[in-house]
Amino acid sequence: MLQILSTKQLSTRFIHTGARILNKKEMAVRQASLGGVDVDLETKTNVEKLKRGIAEFYDESSGIWEDIWGDHMHHGFYDPNSTVSLSDHRAAQVRMIEEALKFASVPEDPMKKPKSIVDVGCGIGGSSQYLARKYGTECTGITLSPVQAERARALAAAQGLENKVSFEVADALNQPFPDGKFDLVWSMESGEHMPEKAKFVNELARVAAPGARIIIVTWCHRNLSSSEQSLNPDEKKLLDKICDAYYLPTWCSTDDYVKLLQPLSLQDIKAADWSEYVAPFWPAVIRSALTWKGITSLILSGWKTIKGAMVMPLMMKGYKKGLIKFAIITCRKPE
Amino acid sequence: MRLLTHNMLSSNIKGVTNGFPLRIEVEKVVEKSVDFNPDFLKNMFAKIEYKALVEASRIMGYAELPDHAEPSMLESDDFLRKFHHALMELHLEEGTLVCPETGRRFPVNKGVPNMLLHEDEV
Repeated sequence: MLQILSTKQLSTRFIHTGARILNKKEMAVRQASLGGVDVDLETKTNVEKLKRGIAEFYDESSGIWEDIWGDHMHHGFYDPNSTVSLSDHRAAQVRMIEEALKFASVPEDPMKKPKSIVDVGCGIGGSSQYLARKYGTECTGITLSPVQAERARALAAAQGLENKVSFEVADALNQPFPDGKFDLVWSMESGEHMPEKAKFVNELARVAAPGARIIIVTWCHRNLSSSEQSLNPDEKKLLDKICDAYYLPTWCSTDDYVKLLQPLSLQDIKAADWSEYVAPFWPAVIRSALTWKGITSLILSGWKTIKGAMVMPLMMKGYKKGLIKFAIITCRKPE
Repeated sequence: MRLLTHNMLSSNIKGVTNGFPLRIEVEKVVEKSVDFNPDFLKNMFAKIEYKALVEASRIMGYAELPDHAEPSMLESDDFLRKFHHALMELHLEEGTLVCPETGRRFPVNKGVPNMLLHEDEV
């Protein structure tokens, strides 16, 4: 657990390395975002505001995303340095799911494959549908957005999957399930929304059954070097702008996730940086937004969605600078 | 919300020791026809809390499911079909799920349960 040092202690410790000194407030925010300490009332209120913001953002913008991109609300997985056309993206999004399952070594053997799946931060159910179909088993998805949950339900029904997938409005930090319920715990690009990473990770581990795989695919910032206590001011400024538009709490690094998983008696903790495999994604999203359909849809959708669209070039900038990382972290609960 | 889903939901309000099963208050039940899949049902039987399913199906207006069940009964087509109907074909479209310990009410609208907790419940 990080210690809150006084500014004087920090300046004595770090003055020679030239690393940036965090003031008390910044340290508290960073600690709170990892969730390692009891959060005070102000933080609790901010968390409630954040959750409402997330729900409203997705209530407003899911429709336009679905219209242009379909039911998978995540990055595609591409061969590095490949050129892709718009029609390749759906296949790339499916490939992202498959690569993640492969990375986590999820068994395909009929006896060992997952028999119950939870999709944490399920969007409009793209992953839930895919996983339920792939393993021939039931999957439940949770989202903060009632609009998404209802849309997910309708889409699943339209695909004849109503009996295999279900959706609830629920909080990933307080999942409405008993312990040890699911053989596969799936979080595809929802981790970046979670305000208390430790609680998020703990819940994933809690609802995982013995032998289950936990898969987290998420946006992180670069790992800090051993002499750094935080990102530099320019980096923080860039992330703050993105956070504001996408209703994201303070970012953490891939290393932070690994450190949070380590004390939970989980096995085979693996992490990787997949940034090079998602490089074509944001340029493609920007291009789609600039089409006639994109622009008119944005105008009709609302301010939150427009703000989100305007911030897309910042995501590209973040990746280019090596500040934003597309990370995968997986592990297994012991039998 | 079908009863397969109800069977996996619990109330995790702070301080609650046993938040399962949630009590169902019905406003609107819809029966939906679902393809009968014996293998799927046999897999699910091991994973569900049977007693909770029986109670829930009675509240939803279906009284055919036997009070107790043994895995051997899965060989009986008659039982399997009743099990299938209760688990998969009864949908709570509108209603409420109630925490058995605190009485806290979780609404179900258009078949989607809302399990979000308030600030003071976590």
